[in-house]
Amino acid sequence: MRANIWRTPTLFIAILLLLPLILTNYGVKLTSEVLIMAIFVMSLGLIIGFAGLVSLGHAAFFGLGAYVVALLGTHLDNTYVLIIAAAVISGIVAFVSGLLFIRSSGAYFLMITLAFGQMLFAIFYKMESVTGGADGMAVSASLNLGFGAIESRVGFYYLVTIAFLVSYYLLRVFISSPLGKGVRGIKENESRMTALGYNIRHYKLIVYSLSGMLAGFAGALYAYFNQYVSPDLLHWMFSGQALIMVIVGGVGTLVGPAIGAGFFVILQSYISSYTDRWPMIMGVIFVAIVLYGRGGILQIAMLLWNKLRPKRHKEEETPILPKEGNGFESVKG
Amino acid sequence: MATSILFMHILNGLAYGMLLFMIAAGLSIIFGLMNIVNLAHGAFYLGGVYIAYSLVQQNLGFWLAMIASIVLVAGLGVLMERFLLERVYGKELEQVLLTFGLSFIFADLVKWIWGTSPLALPVPSSLDVSLDMGGTMFPAYRLFVILVGCLLAVLLWYMENKTRIGAIIRAGVDDRQMLSALGINIKVVFTSIFAVGAALAGLSGVLGGPIMGMYVGIDSEILVSSLVIVVVGGLGTWKGAFIGAILVGLVDTLGRVWFPSLTMAMVFVIMIIVLLIKPNGLFGRGAHA
Amino acid sequence: MSLLKVEHLSKSFKGLQVLRDVSLEVREGERHVIIGPNGAGKTTLFNCMTGTLPINEGKVVVNGQQISGLPAYTAVRMGMSRTFQKNNLFGELSVEENIHLAVTACKPYRFHFLKPASKYAEMLAETQELLAQWGLWERRSRIVSELSYGEQRLLEVILALASKPNILLLDEPTSGMSPAETVQTTMLIQSMPRSITLLVIEHDMEVVFSIADRITVLHHGEVFLSGSPDEISGDARVKEIYFGGGTLKHA
Repeated sequence: MRANIWRTPTLFIAILLLLPLILTNYGVKLTSEVLIMAIFVMSLGLIIGFAGLVSLGHAAFFGLGAYVVALLGTHLDNTYVLIIAAAVISGIVAFVSGLLFIRSSGAYFLMITLAFGQMLFAIFYKMESVTGGADGMAVSASLNLGFGAIESRVGFYYLVTIAFLVSYYLLRVFISSPLGKGVRGIKENESRMTALGYNIRHYKLIVYSLSGMLAGFAGALYAYFNQYVSPDLLHWMFSGQALIMVIVGGVGTLVGPAIGAGFFVILQSYISSYTDRWPMIMGVIFVAIVLYGRGGILQIAMLLWNKLRPKRHKEEETPILPKEGNGFESVKG
Repeated sequence: MATSILFMHILNGLAYGMLLFMIAAGLSIIFGLMNIVNLAHGAFYLGGVYIAYSLVQQNLGFWLAMIASIVLVAGLGVLMERFLLERVYGKELEQVLLTFGLSFIFADLVKWIWGTSPLALPVPSSLDVSLDMGGTMFPAYRLFVILVGCLLAVLLWYMENKTRIGAIIRAGVDDRQMLSALGINIKVVFTSIFAVGAALAGLSGVLGGPIMGMYVGIDSEILVSSLVIVVVGGLGTWKGAFIGAILVGLVDTLGRVWFPSLTMAMVFVIMIIVLLIKPNGLFGRGAHA
Repeated sequence: MSLLKVEHLSKSFKGLQVLRDVSLEVREGERHVIIGPNGAGKTTLFNCMTGTLPINEGKVVVNGQQISGLPAYTAVRMGMSRTFQKNNLFGELSVEENIHLAVTACKPYRFHFLKPASKYAEMLAETQELLAQWGLWERRSRIVSELSYGEQRLLEVILALASKPNILLLDEPTSGMSPAETVQTTMLIQSMPRSITLLVIEHDMEVVFSIADRITVLHHGEVFLSGSPDEISGDARVKEIYFGGGTLKHA
């Protein structure tokens, strides 16, 4: 049993480590991007899938992290300091903004986070003298972890791989921790959690701040990856793309968002090389996923897997009692 | 600053506020009644202005083009509601994603058909004059937009408070289950409201074209401002949308003049202040917290 | 000594007075039952006492501390926990996970996030104890929505007990139960140690009279009468308002 638990991750890590041997330079670059996006999308997946907080402004934290590296990087060139600063500043901004709107839920939360993200976008867009405005700015900081500057694509790839694996592992621990279980409980049933003695706002605030921090961390990596940042990184369209990656991968899982990120980044790079109509294709994917792909590709893959392996088929979950209410309560939030 | 210039900025702010009101009113009622955050609502604005532009190019004349464009956009709204949104009622996340996807499709479609370079809808010739307002010249067209906005507000207020359909909507925003209990055909109500919302956004697009210009991306700018208005004004109320829109229109316009780099931030600060004082918005009926 | 005191509590919704000047005292170790016709405001009283609903006037004192005006989650920390009239559980989680959440709620490690919950021996032991004590050990890994209604009702009580309260509010513990389940639940309530003071809302008169030391009749949001079971069953006016003239059966 124990061996089984470790087999899949080990295999996965092995593949990640060996991948550069078979990939082209472009492939290595693309995979690096996938891994960075995966960290970002996992951070969003954490609040959506485990806390039930659907944000449409999460790119703001990613973009903030990226800009911290770009802006602070012109003054001090220490990779550790910059990355930590990016995560901490994003986390603080998430915390403070969360203080204000964590008591909203559902569609209200979504609208408020969207507006907040657009505000940060507008600030970076308008502050031309500092941020270069719409043109964005180049990232001058060099990537150096103390043993020489990392300049090769492969070197960067390994750095991002480690960052991804560590992020994944930490999230894994988080969701199984008492705090993570509490967060999950809040998503399931807020009124019961309150009756049990949980202060649900604290939990939401903590998970939201952590999520913002992780998004900022991903943004910082992206700044090093792309060596250029622009306000688009904070735009709600980007938040929306991250949201669909979560959905495509499957809400409520940790791997799902990462897979969704991979699926999208690769698809985008593939399709963009053929046509300019990527936004439209992405829109169609959105609609199709919503109408036909409930549960995301991970779910579809699982269904196929279960079909192939009938003995693992899970007992159908038939609630004995009819669910209370007609669904509107949960929707009204 | 001279008072006359301030006065002009205020009028400009009001005109912008009226355009936002037309969008936010539909957004707010759709949200309040159907619980849909329609992120494709900006696309109706976009559709309104671009379709009108093409019709004007065909020498149809501004007013005919406006009517035709509004009808087309309303039709688009009906199709969207009937064939897509209806399938995800009651599922919040799905609705958001669906409308978000649609906004991508529409925006890209516009880019495809009309290109990416900014266009402008000409001001209708009958209104292409400036009026002398106590020493300052002010475009008559903008006054016309303010007038239309105010008339619309009165009309919507009348509908909301004095007619049967208004009573149905008020009841529905407070308690959706009540509608079916009253034996009302919800489907028809939902579709009509969606069509009206789309038409209003289309109208805003056509009227806004000569003022705001036309470019891809304006849909999301307008949408975000409208969402702020809905949050500020409170969901499901036309009065809230009206006051909220004027507030946001003025703050945004005056902000552009005084603190150009902080406009959106100022609009957002208003939202935060309102949320802190009245979590349900200024005139909000429904509880959401 | 009164462990729980409600003083002159009033509550109205949009001008509709639901509770008017309600005062109530529950002594330590007492089993106090609240009865009253539908709409008398019984559940609203619970909601007001626990802070789920804000109150308009009056105060609630628990274990010598004023609780009214404090957020709902503080009730448990003051030793008062509650169940719900309609099952209010974590339907998608297993029985065990439900109890884990309930046990962890007031533990200092509830905010820990660097170690899996399954490594907290104290929590596991308490969960195990509750599961064994209430006969759900076999069912521990079942998803809650798969349990029978009676079992869910039982879990409702277990979750409230997990915080080791000294005051327990039970909101119609037998509602919707079969006669057999009702008898079982009544016995469970009777078997609870006297260290837990009980305040129970109940409709079933057999249950009421088999557990109550004291009964309060709530009518139109007001305390109509409060007294021993004999006083209540002998009161003609109670029969009138509550049973429309029928007889009060004393179990």
